Amino acid sequence: MATTAGHAPADQQASPPQQKQHMNASLIAMLLFIGSEVMLFASLFTAYFFIRYGVANETWPPLKQDGEPFTLPVLLTGVNTLILISSSFTLWWGEKRLAAGDNKGLIRGLWVTILMGATFLLIQLNEYAHLGFTPQDKAFSGAFYTLTGFHGAHVLVGLIVLSLCLRRAYKNDFSHSYNTPLTAGSYYWHFVDIVWVLLFFLVYVI
Amino acid sequence: MLFAFLLVFLLRALFGFEPLYDGGVYGGVAGLIGAIGFLWGIGCFDFWLGWAKGADISEEDHSFHGVSNWKQYFRFNTDHKVIGIQYLGMTLFFMLWGGLMALLIRTELAAPGQQIADGETYNGFLSMHATLMIFVFAVPVFGGIANYVLPIMLGAKDMAFPRLNALSFWFLPVAGFMFLASMFTGMFGAAWTAYPPLASQGTMGQTLFELGVQFAGASSIATAINFLATIVTMRAPGMTIWRMPILAWATGVTSVLAVFATPFIAGSQFLTMFDRIMGTNFFVPDQGGDVIMYQHIFWFYSHPAVYIMLLPGFGIISEVIATFARKPLFGYRAMAFSMVAIAVLGFGVWAHHMFVSGMAAWLRVPMMITTIIIAVPTGVKMWSWLATLWQGRIHIKTPMLWALGFLFTFLMGGLSGVFLGIVPADIQMSDTYFVTAHLHYVLYGGSVYTIFAGLYYWFPKMTGKMYSERLGHWHFWLTFIGTQLTFFPMHWQGLQGMPRRVSDYDPRFETVNSIETIGSYMLGVATIVFFYNIIVSWKSGPKAPWNPWRGKTLEWMVSSPPPLFNFDAVPQVVGGPYQYGIPDARHAVVFAPEEFGGELKEDTRYPVLVVANETLTSQTLIDEIRARNADGLWSFQLVVPVGDGDRSVAERRLATTLAILAESGVSATGRVADGDVVSVATEAAKEIQPNELVIATLPLAESQWMRTDSVDKVRKATGVALSHVVVPANDARALAGTSALPLVMVVATEAIGAEALATVVRTRADAEPARFTVVAPLDLPDPRWGAEANERRRAAGEAMTATINALVNTGVAVEGEVMDDAPSVALPLAIDAYKPSRIIVAGINGETAGLREAAEAAAGDTPVEAVNLGAAAGA
Repeated sequence: MATTAGHAPADQQASPPQQKQHMNASLIAMLLFIGSEVMLFASLFTAYFFIRYGVANETWPPLKQDGEPFTLPVLLTGVNTLILISSSFTLWWGEKRLAAGDNKGLIRGLWVTILMGATFLLIQLNEYAHLGFTPQDKAFSGAFYTLTGFHGAHVLVGLIVLSLCLRRAYKNDFSHSYNTPLTAGSYYWHFVDIVWVLLFFLVYVI
Repeated sequence: MLFAFLLVFLLRALFGFEPLYDGGVYGGVAGLIGAIGFLWGIGCFDFWLGWAKGADISEEDHSFHGVSNWKQYFRFNTDHKVIGIQYLGMTLFFMLWGGLMALLIRTELAAPGQQIADGETYNGFLSMHATLMIFVFAVPVFGGIANYVLPIMLGAKDMAFPRLNALSFWFLPVAGFMFLASMFTGMFGAAWTAYPPLASQGTMGQTLFELGVQFAGASSIATAINFLATIVTMRAPGMTIWRMPILAWATGVTSVLAVFATPFIAGSQFLTMFDRIMGTNFFVPDQGGDVIMYQHIFWFYSHPAVYIMLLPGFGIISEVIATFARKPLFGYRAMAFSMVAIAVLGFGVWAHHMFVSGMAAWLRVPMMITTIIIAVPTGVKMWSWLATLWQGRIHIKTPMLWALGFLFTFLMGGLSGVFLGIVPADIQMSDTYFVTAHLHYVLYGGSVYTIFAGLYYWFPKMTGKMYSERLGHWHFWLTFIGTQLTFFPMHWQGLQGMPRRVSDYDPRFETVNSIETIGSYMLGVATIVFFYNIIVSWKSGPKAPWNPWRGKTLEWMVSSPPPLFNFDAVPQVVGGPYQYGIPDARHAVVFAPEEFGGELKEDTRYPVLVVANETLTSQTLIDEIRARNADGLWSFQLVVPVGDGDRSVAERRLATTLAILAESGVSATGRVADGDVVSVATEAAKEIQPNELVIATLPLAESQWMRTDSVDKVRKATGVALSHVVVPANDARALAGTSALPLVMVVATEAIGAEALATVVRTRADAEPARFTVVAPLDLPDPRWGAEANERRRAAGEAMTATINALVNTGVAVEGEVMDDAPSVALPLAIDAYKPSRIIVAGINGETAGLREAAEAAAGDTPVEAVNLGAAAGA
């Protein structure tokens, strides 16, 4: 419905004031939600560090049930990390294209991002299959699977969100002025990426 | 459920797990899938799924808004007012269950040895009690109150995300019924703290507990995000953050706590659940696990959770105290900042729950220091409440009673909290009943009292009905005494070393324990009174006015209950929310369409109907009216029903009272109406639609109206909120408004007792409202103690009594005095004492001139007139 903008004539000043949108409620909600997700991962990292530093007189990485130390494929996962980080940039590029009025560019950006995210997940699953230890092995393996598993679930949710955005992009729903769901989705995706970078350094590298 | 069992069975068979059947896993998955199925079935996901499928859905679809009958409260709804009621109903239901558990605990503890439950079952009782009370009562009930009130307070039409709001409500029954369902699968017995390794063992109930906590936590986070988005983006124009009601501050700060702390309990419960059903080793020390880690993660949520259960209560108390003390809230900004400070500090004190757990020893002292520091912002709040009460005009209505009770019990809990925060003391008192006493003073005396204050305060707004004030008082006093009886002796018990969470105890504690059990039964009775009151009042209570407490915040500027979208147009906020007693101060302007009379302002005077006859001129009634006038914008309509009595008497009384009221700046009009009190009051109420109806009567024994039960009949006939003012008989006859009306002195000697004198005074009273004093100076013969003098004195006294009675009974405000001197001596003294504004000399024939002369000599500037009652009186 069209509304006329402009100043009301002086004799209509008695008309009720209008509710003004101070900020975008949806984006605030997404940021708060991400804040609570950060705290969820913080609690899991706390568990991880308690296990890592609470156990006295043990070398790191700890030993498995069969006496061998836990080994993680740092190199492969490093490449995987690069894939995930790049996907953040491709998403950002897609949004830039949309800001320039190029819906096609957005669709391309989303496709690349989603494919990279899916690649990341597949490589992670492949890693799970070839690690050689299970969550039941020691406390460390439990923490490892919990952290990476929770992250993987978040990547999956991110992929679903981005796919829904892609669907709407095909319907030309987004524009320079209206892109809240897309922005919220991209916040979430960036968050998932940053958590992974932390996870990679704290669990795999050091 | 069946689907879940099949799913797990197939998956386990597929991957070759041994054994094929494991109750915990099956139960857990069945619970989870059952919960999601329930949420789906009730329609929580319809919109989003529709959106994802590309179905034809509209953002502006309000078909899930509002209710038309009570059954719809059991269905999916997106209206914040309906969700608020749903929250309150659901949480109070769980409170009943939790309370029942508490009574079972106390019954077991009534005497040493085993009464009704063995140790295992007892653990189940106490775990269930704490879990229900904390996760599905104390935390979410504030969400219910704020859900209803907050959007209206902010001038918004609804919450920022109504569908998310509905979803977060429906998580709640899922959580609660999972807890309750564990009664059939073996109750969880690891207390609400669920410490491993105890929590890693136990029955399937423990798994259900872990799942239920996840749902309660998700509900809490979603609501919190919703509140924050609402507070940030949906405030009415003009409502800066410093003009927000304190409840909005409290809810906002609480929501920040909930968003950032709750994930920690989710994390801790995930870990224990993985240990239980996936076989991980987080809490198995010989596999590299660490049980202290659980306590750190758990308390990092559960200490802030204490503030999640208290801060909204602080907000409610601030509203209630400011409104019922009729004063601006003292230290508004300090109140807001101290809540922020409590929230920030609250994240840094978690390990004070673990002083004796074997955690890193260096952490103790820092945690002790931060814990003690929290007493500072809490003290700021306490003093601000007291300063708000200081010299306020305190109205002891039920919400205020709860608020005052809260101040007392919460102070007690706060003080024992300081004891427990100090490491050496805590090492001594940990895990004793001292801790139980502390936490119940804080959570029961603190949190629950604020909940009741809030429920009573907004009950008229939510239901459109008034609750019974008398039952409310009963509820409060039973609870208050019950609280002290139940929890105060626990301090002593704890210091003597009685451990908590044990089903048996040393026989020397028997007396104290049985006293506590009696106290807890009192609490049970009080709860029955409460439920009776709200259910009956909601069904058939008197209609509530828009603003029964004369509050200033926005929710009181809409009808009770509010219309579907709260406001017909967006209100404009123009000032602070607590400017009680400040002339011309306004919080907001609420606009209404023309058909309702255009703009509704805060200075619109709403009518109050006052019905009285014999007591109309009494000081009691006039004080009642003045008190109402002092803190609200009311216009008073006085109606005097006259049955078969003298109409002119009623008119005289009305004129007197109206004159007194006009003098003290009360806007009042009045009329005398024919008919009995019930019909007159009903007619008048129909005509002027008053916000309140005040009926003044004599005490029960003397009142004609009470004898015919008129007050209750009026209450039923009108449905308006009714105040019954009982006026003592001597007050009804006393000279009303001692200083308000001009005083006319009537001087008479021979004429006292004569009907003509009374007629003169009545005529004068009808001409202009005044009060009278009749003075009779007697020129007594010497000796004054002689028989003749005494006889004259007695006769004059009798005559005076007759005159005064005749006048008072016909509605004239009058008193009289017989003086022992000749007019020339007595009158100067009398005039000096009474300072009349006019003197009337009423003599009979010859004596008139002499009296007049004496009066004029003594009068100075005061006008004197003389009346000769003549033959009429002489006869």
